[in-house]
Amino acid sequence: MHRQYRKNFVVPLLTAVLPCLAGLATPARAADTLEPEQEYTEKLPPTMGEHWALVTTNGSFTLYDGDKAKILGTLPGDFEANLAIAPDRKTYYVTTTMWTRGDHGDREDFLQAYDASTLALTKEISIPARALSVFKNQDLGLSNDGHWAYIFDMTPTTRVTVVDLHAGKVATNVDIPGCALEFEWAKGGFSSLCGDGGLANVSFNGGTPKVTHTPRFFDADEAPVFEQSPVDPVSGTAYFITYDGKVFETKLGPDAKPESPWDLDEAAGMKAAGRGVQELGWRPGGSEPFAVHAGTHKLYVLMHVGHYWTHKDPGQEIWVFDTQTHKRVARLPLPMPVAAISVTQDASPLIYAVSHVKHAPGKLLILDAGSGKVKHEVDASALPMTVVAGM
Amino acid sequence: MKSPSPFDLFSESVTRGLARFSSRRSVLGAVGATAVAQSVPALPVARAAEKPLTEFELKSQTKDPTRCDYWRHCAIDGVICGCCGGGIHSCPPGSQPSPVSWIGTCRNPDDGKSYVIAYRDCCGRTTCSAPDECECNTADRALPIYRPQNSNDIIWCFGTASQRYHCSTAALIGSAD
Repeated sequence: MHRQYRKNFVVPLLTAVLPCLAGLATPARAADTLEPEQEYTEKLPPTMGEHWALVTTNGSFTLYDGDKAKILGTLPGDFEANLAIAPDRKTYYVTTTMWTRGDHGDREDFLQAYDASTLALTKEISIPARALSVFKNQDLGLSNDGHWAYIFDMTPTTRVTVVDLHAGKVATNVDIPGCALEFEWAKGGFSSLCGDGGLANVSFNGGTPKVTHTPRFFDADEAPVFEQSPVDPVSGTAYFITYDGKVFETKLGPDAKPESPWDLDEAAGMKAAGRGVQELGWRPGGSEPFAVHAGTHKLYVLMHVGHYWTHKDPGQEIWVFDTQTHKRVARLPLPMPVAAISVTQDASPLIYAVSHVKHAPGKLLILDAGSGKVKHEVDASALPMTVVAGM
Repeated sequence: MKSPSPFDLFSESVTRGLARFSSRRSVLGAVGATAVAQSVPALPVARAAEKPLTEFELKSQTKDPTRCDYWRHCAIDGVICGCCGGGIHSCPPGSQPSPVSWIGTCRNPDDGKSYVIAYRDCCGRTTCSAPDECECNTADRALPIYRPQNSNDIIWCFGTASQRYHCSTAALIGSAD
């Protein structure tokens, strides 16, 4: 017992001391072989990559490189924050609402600017308030020239706060009674969808905003237009899509005039799905069910088989339409139900899709937009909104 | 005495709610502007009858109010307060009921009649972490945010001390037949 104790003590002691003695004899050699590592912060290129996307995650936006399915960085995004990417891809904008003490205290609403290379906070602008209406891309938009941010608010009256991003302050508030959300024009303003079935068109480029209204063109009670209807911001063309699958292409502006609608099912050679609550048909649906690829005039739609009023149901397939011929040009099956899509705007685009499987965290699927092949499937704990540059 | 109509009940609820939270003239002014600029849209209660049943209505039940398929949850979006320490028309301790709400028209399968349901949010506490099956998002005749009275995507915490969303209730406020 006693001898065993001594052995246990002496052997480790020698093991510890001998290398030190050896080290004293050859200090230069140790320094040659082991350089202490220096901590540093990674940097990204100055502009956002064409195949990248910001994916809504719990309390944050996670920046992904879609080619490698790799996380590049994180932006903060508290309770139902919104995100927009500057047209020059050099800045990310986040709008957030916080209370000074978590769930109580003073409410603070603000817009933040982050540098795309360092992801450092570069600007923080207080705003009167913003809408806390389940995160939708259409709560926040930027003018095409990167000068103005449009922030939708509901108190519960509705208005849009316009922020001058050059001056770093609020420029004006525009009341849009009975209307909501913002859809950017190519230049000089935005439109909002209204409860009377028309649009409010807000001209603004500094100075006093002017508001015009279109006549009613959809039935807000029986076949409303999706809040998530997509816009090609370069041409300022909106595709207002109704719950029953009609597409009203509209060149946005002070005299916006929705064109005669075409039907998603008919464009696919099928009978148009009606409004029957027991009428099964292919229908659009999801949390962010639409995306456009501006360069090739393509509209991507999440479609599912369901009855009327299943506009929140996830998609089983992505249908691809040519917005010039009004024909379906591709039908992309999905390996699991999907709630949200976005499409990158380059010549070889990727689709970012967020899964919607009951009792399972959202997976991020990255697909080749041409072939529909799933290139990556990531356990991203994603929420159903992704944002790409140029949209 | 004749009982108040669903419209009266709803109007009263909204008016009381507005009266409670609108301390500033600007809010009332803006609400007034909304009312003038827009003709008041017809409530869905008038067209509830004589329609084929929806999938939700065919499968709904009247026994367990903590399930998404409970008959009053035909147009709910959120975490059921009954799973969080509250009830079908009560808020969990630590949270406050919103004075205003969105509404739905739901059919009770026991009597086959339709009722007006006020989906009032409970507010002022971080979101309740209930099991997944208590998070519901039904959409029977739910409309977009530009028809706010029938939109269940909105955080209906206007008029409470903090607009932080906690959970949702489904109070019966009148008959729709």
